[in-house]
Amino acid sequence: MHIILNNTSMVPIYEQLMGQIKSEIINGSLKENDVLPSVRSLSGQLRISALTVKKAYDRLEEEGFVITVHGKGTYVAQADRQLAMEARKKTVEDDFAAAIQKASAIGFTKEDILKIVEIILEDY
Amino acid sequence: MVKVDNLVKTYGDFRLDISLEIPEGTVTGIVGKNGAGKSTAIKAILGLIRPDSGHVSINGKDASALTGSEKAAIGAALSDSGFSAYLRVKDILCILRKMYPAFDEALFTNYCHAQKLPMDKQVKDFSTGMRAKLRVLTAISHNAQLLIMDEPTAGLDVGARNDILDLLRQYLVDHENCSILLTSHISSDLEGLCDDIYLIHDGKIILHEDTDTILSSYALLKVSEDVYEKLDKKYILSTKKEAFGYECFTNEKQFYMENYPGIVIENGNVDDLILMMTGGK
Repeated sequence: MHIILNNTSMVPIYEQLMGQIKSEIINGSLKENDVLPSVRSLSGQLRISALTVKKAYDRLEEEGFVITVHGKGTYVAQADRQLAMEARKKTVEDDFAAAIQKASAIGFTKEDILKIVEIILEDY
Repeated sequence: MVKVDNLVKTYGDFRLDISLEIPEGTVTGIVGKNGAGKSTAIKAILGLIRPDSGHVSINGKDASALTGSEKAAIGAALSDSGFSAYLRVKDILCILRKMYPAFDEALFTNYCHAQKLPMDKQVKDFSTGMRAKLRVLTAISHNAQLLIMDEPTAGLDVGARNDILDLLRQYLVDHENCSILLTSHISSDLEGLCDDIYLIHDGKIILHEDTDTILSSYALLKVSEDVYEKLDKKYILSTKKEAFGYECFTNEKQFYMENYPGIVIENGNVDDLILMMTGGK
């Protein structure tokens, strides 16, 4: 697992951690039944509090990405990749929706918005 | 694992009055300015001073009633190691071997080697960093279930501090259920290690919060005077007047990010917490 945390980011550490573990599950570098590092060892490696790691693992479990077996560890769950991908798409769509809402609020037209998107895309 | 109930200790006009709890398997930090009562709290928990009232229980047993072997299951590192400065590490090794039935000599020797502590040099000739490492190594070399450390990193350079914190992190990995209580005023030590933080000021606990919550929900807002006038102060914990206007400390970062998109918001950290909660108005 390769986790890079940004301590100055406005995104809470546990969310950064969740996001990166999810990405590894979705892109297949973490496979079904792979065991994640223990809470203590990951918190030691990343130099963050154990509670933060636990929070990220708990949320990942709620979302169905991992399963924690008490006393044994946390495993990557039988992943429904399709579903995970859908969830990701949904968050991207939400981000777009929020941006469009902001733009409309200050009077951007549909053409203005499309133009901005095109300009940004040119850089990729 | 440790429970402190309304512990009161008075020294002249200083009065310590605290309650706190260290659950099993957690790392708890006590922060505060010099003289706030951190070390007094530690000493009272260890039973080194007799409280005026209230009590401390360790594993459900009153701290003053602990037997020798129960005390040997606690690893403590105070501001002074208590060893004579004329002893060498190899002399201390003999003392520890006799003192702690569970003393892990191989581990201690390996760590001394890894941390470059010479076996045959007197402690009086050690640097500050070497003495600090020796204190921590003493505490972690007998498989204690509870570590109590008073300022384990005080006065050390950033490299030595990291070495000590990494020793504690390794200890946590090797001892799944052990708990640590430590005091510090260096915020990065606490943010990267503690699960739980108590802020103590003038002998009282004025804040108790998960480290995670401090880092994700607390923030410092920097606003000009006219913005300050209009600001909803519902979630402002303290305010300080600055040259540019006001610095406000909040525990609801999200609220201000959403409702005041223009203002400068910096992530909160333990330093801000101490400064704003003990110095602000």
